[in-house]
Amino acid sequence: MTYLQARGVVRSYGPTPALRGVNLDVAEGEIVAVTGPSGCGKSTLLHCLAGILRPDAGEVLWRGERIDTWSEAARSRLRRSTFGVLFQFGQLVAELTAAENVALPLLLAGTGRREARTAALGWLDRLGVADLADTRPGEMSGGQQQRCATARALVTEPRVLFADEPTGALDTLTGEQVLTRLVRLVREQGTSIVLVTHEPRIAAYADREVVLRDGVVDHDGLGLDVPLAGGHR
Amino acid sequence: MRPSTLLRLAVAGTATDTVRVVLTALSAALAALAGLAALTVLAIPTPPPVDEGDVRWSDQYASQLLVEPGLRGGTAFALLLLTVPVLALAGQCARLGAPARDRRLAALRLAGATPGQVTRLAVGETGLAALLGTAGGTAIYFGVREAFDTPDGQGRLALPTDVLPAPGAFAAVLLGLPVVAGLATALMLRRVTVGPLGVVRKQRRERGPRPWAGVLIGLGLVAFAAIGPIDRWYATRDTQPPEWLTPALLTGGGLAALVGVVVGTGWISYVTGRLLRRWARRPATLLAAARLTADPWAGSRTFAALLAAVLLGAGAAGLRAYFEAAGDLERRGGGGLAGTDDFYLSTMDLVDLAVAVAMVVAAGGLVVALVEGVTARRRAYAALVATGVPAATIGRSIAWQALAPAVPAVALALTVGLLLARGLFGTPTSGGGTVEFCDAAEQLCNDPATRAQYTRVEVEPLVSRTPDVPLEHVAWLGAGALAAVLVTVAVGLLFLRPGTAVEELRAT
Repeated sequence: MTYLQARGVVRSYGPTPALRGVNLDVAEGEIVAVTGPSGCGKSTLLHCLAGILRPDAGEVLWRGERIDTWSEAARSRLRRSTFGVLFQFGQLVAELTAAENVALPLLLAGTGRREARTAALGWLDRLGVADLADTRPGEMSGGQQQRCATARALVTEPRVLFADEPTGALDTLTGEQVLTRLVRLVREQGTSIVLVTHEPRIAAYADREVVLRDGVVDHDGLGLDVPLAGGHR
Repeated sequence: MRPSTLLRLAVAGTATDTVRVVLTALSAALAALAGLAALTVLAIPTPPPVDEGDVRWSDQYASQLLVEPGLRGGTAFALLLLTVPVLALAGQCARLGAPARDRRLAALRLAGATPGQVTRLAVGETGLAALLGTAGGTAIYFGVREAFDTPDGQGRLALPTDVLPAPGAFAAVLLGLPVVAGLATALMLRRVTVGPLGVVRKQRRERGPRPWAGVLIGLGLVAFAAIGPIDRWYATRDTQPPEWLTPALLTGGGLAALVGVVVGTGWISYVTGRLLRRWARRPATLLAAARLTADPWAGSRTFAALLAAVLLGAGAAGLRAYFEAAGDLERRGGGGLAGTDDFYLSTMDLVDLAVAVAMVVAAGGLVVALVEGVTARRRAYAALVATGVPAATIGRSIAWQALAPAVPAVALALTVGLLLARGLFGTPTSGGGTVEFCDAAEQLCNDPATRAQYTRVEVEPLVSRTPDVPLEHVAWLGAGALAAVLVTVAVGLLFLRPGTAVEELRAT
């Protein structure tokens, strides 16, 4: 079943075009890697699909319903309840503890603090950072922060996870650890992932690779010259 | 989002956020204190007249400002005016720690907070701080009442501790201040788009500011100058102007002039920046010129409270000059105002004290604004230092940024304040009336049949005395304001050295 669709998505920043009519389908439980050179529009596509940005033209559909025409508040609620978002950095609230950060989407949705904390602690445990529950992001390493961010992205058990260079700020080993755990967890839940990366090794975790070039899809299918990494694919 | 979550997220913050909350609460406390004091003065009941023409004074008070019903309105108005610099200080505090708060709000949006939830959080923080401050101000109010509730040897009270404002008015201050503070925050956030990817501030305009603030100043001056002629126009028709007209002209005109001066500082900053850019040859002045033209409204924000205090001070100086001229005129005529001259001038001493308090509050706001400016741009400054620009050059540039627009802005505020006072009070005059003299014996003068025959009418010459321009007073006021700017710049520069450390480039 197709979860998410982009139909002729166009998006510019002032006079500079970022996307020039992108079509993309993401199926239930599918991991799609979006790759391409710097400035090709990878992150912009992810932001449009996640409802963070509105396309200038074209459509974004979630289970057949257009979401690009929804209000900012409605798209925020969709991100909070159905989508998960994972960025390279700058996503945790520095003033809150790890448990509070992970519980945040639930708290914003009206869940009680105790219930939200219990869920948060469970996800921190599954990502191997339960001992950091009462630690603030500034006191954690980059890898620990990213695990907390991953826990937060998954705490609502989203149907689609949008990950923009999720291991970009981590060393190779830590990045692999975070991603392996992430992929295992989303496979268990049947969550789809749209994974933006410029690293072939990371893209190798995906079921499908979409290559963007100058704002258009240059390739959609299995990886080009990417070596299959340890049976991920 | 549950209220407990709203509360937790609203109070989550760094030490800078805590300072902002404390300063906002302090501003609210001062504003509440001034508001309650004004309402208490207005709540003093005027005793009923015993005989026709009886003086209805409240003799239970020591101060003439409280005794005379005619002076109580002005006293309350002066107390309310004190809230202007206090509220301006609150506005400056709102920007404290803004970059960190922006990052936090953006992170919350990324976590799924809706724009409305983010606005409620920001409004909640300010409203809560203002509520705490108002409660604190109210506690101080009652504490002062208790402390001064003892009559002196003559049985008179120093303060009106025997009356309380009406419950409705009391509630309006207690609830109104937090609501106004929250609404002001919501209004400020209208120009800000907090998105999951960061905070975007809408550009005010492509071009630099224009001198439209002059229109506001002109409207304020016209409103003040119109009060006298309007009263006289109604007097020629033996009627009174509507009760709302004079307060409306005073409030509207005063606010228009004040906003005009503050907004006009943006234009002054822009023009000063362009002039500096054209003529400056040193790196510090060139850097200052670039900043002044890039963000000319920073001057308006920074100096708002100080300019409000200077404007009030200049108006008070103009009023003092009027009283001195009137006293001089009456002394020449023999008697009249001369007896009460000292009273009015001592009243002006109290007004000057209020202006001094306002200046101190404004200086506090200046420190907040300058330190915040240095902190907010620390990465840019650190980058300049890393590329070889001496920290002293950046320090001089900051001093230029503050002083270059401050000098003309303070001069403008002084001029407008003096003109407002001159427009409102005009020139004191005496004479111009007619006096009847009877050049006969008392019997003939008292007899209506013969009185007209011996009576002559003389017209008193109209004498006026133009008030002096209080140059010395104004010079002290201007020098005090600029000294406050210099001192606060020096304090702000203390934060420059750690702020320009190259390590700041690694800070997030």
